[in-house]
Amino acid sequence: MGVDVVVIDLIIAEIHKPCVQVLPSHRTAVSLPHLHPDWTYEMSQASSHQDLAPIRKDWVGVEFDWATFEMKADDMVAWAEACGETDQRFINAEHPDFQAHPGFTTHCMSGRVFPDNFPQIGGGFGIDGGKKVEVHAPIRAGDTLTATTTIADIFDKTGRSGTMIFIVQRMEFRNEDSELVSTVDWKMIKRAE
Amino acid sequence: MTMSTVSGFDEVELGDELPTDTPDVSMKQVTSFCHSAKHLFERFTDHDAARKEGFPGAIVPGIMSQGLLAAMIHKWAPGCTIKSIDTVFRGSLIVDSTITMTGAVTDTDDDNKTVELDLTIVAEDGRTGVIGTALVEFLN
Repeated sequence: MGVDVVVIDLIIAEIHKPCVQVLPSHRTAVSLPHLHPDWTYEMSQASSHQDLAPIRKDWVGVEFDWATFEMKADDMVAWAEACGETDQRFINAEHPDFQAHPGFTTHCMSGRVFPDNFPQIGGGFGIDGGKKVEVHAPIRAGDTLTATTTIADIFDKTGRSGTMIFIVQRMEFRNEDSELVSTVDWKMIKRAE
Repeated sequence: MTMSTVSGFDEVELGDELPTDTPDVSMKQVTSFCHSAKHLFERFTDHDAARKEGFPGAIVPGIMSQGLLAAMIHKWAPGCTIKSIDTVFRGSLIVDSTITMTGAVTDTDDDNKTVELDLTIVAEDGRTGVIGTALVEFLN
């Protein structure tokens, strides 16, 4: 992946001014003003060439948010139709195998970006670098999903425009039977400067 | 080779291309998506407001672009199951423009009847807006 290209383009494409937040100097975690995936996040203090190993050791795997989401048939159909879906499994609520479109859970955002006391990493803007969705089982209309959010990974990559830090937030969605139905990995990219 | 549709794993070969698609990203369609996603921000649904934020016009939400690619896969292989889809948002796609989606088979797994796809969405001006991959499972 061309990280440098990603960063340049996404600084333009993904900044959402109303959602800009600055971390307070005492490093408390903050909540998003809205459950919104196209956000940007500005750190108040840039760190320089931070050693990520101890941060990874302390924070990868930390679970920090929990939420529930109701899966409504009307929204599931509207989402799939707006995406141009033609498969009846996704656009016909009467279909015997009616289910949510594969990426439907990507709009169910955690209310918090980082755990309490999460260290400041990198500088500048945090950019929404993309999403990976894993479909483990069909999501049905009427399901109430419970989502847990963890820091799944922290790593860096170096490209032409310098070193970038990737922070991966993972949401795992389970239905009322505790069956894992969907995993969404959300990659946040920050400059290591 | 471009296959309009495939009905089973045996019809898929490494290197096959999915039919190119130009999905509807009109203001009406994007606004409908934003309502379903509770994703109501003017940068997606109002050209003038988006320009005030520095964009060329209203932009297609990243999560919608992923959904457009999923729909393309289902058109190509009706009845298949998308096991995973991973997209990187590289640049803005403009509402009311013509965007082009492509896909190609990059790997096949006979044992699991799965295929891997490379996916791309190109903006009207030729820029690459989204790149991605998907893992797709066939029932037969």
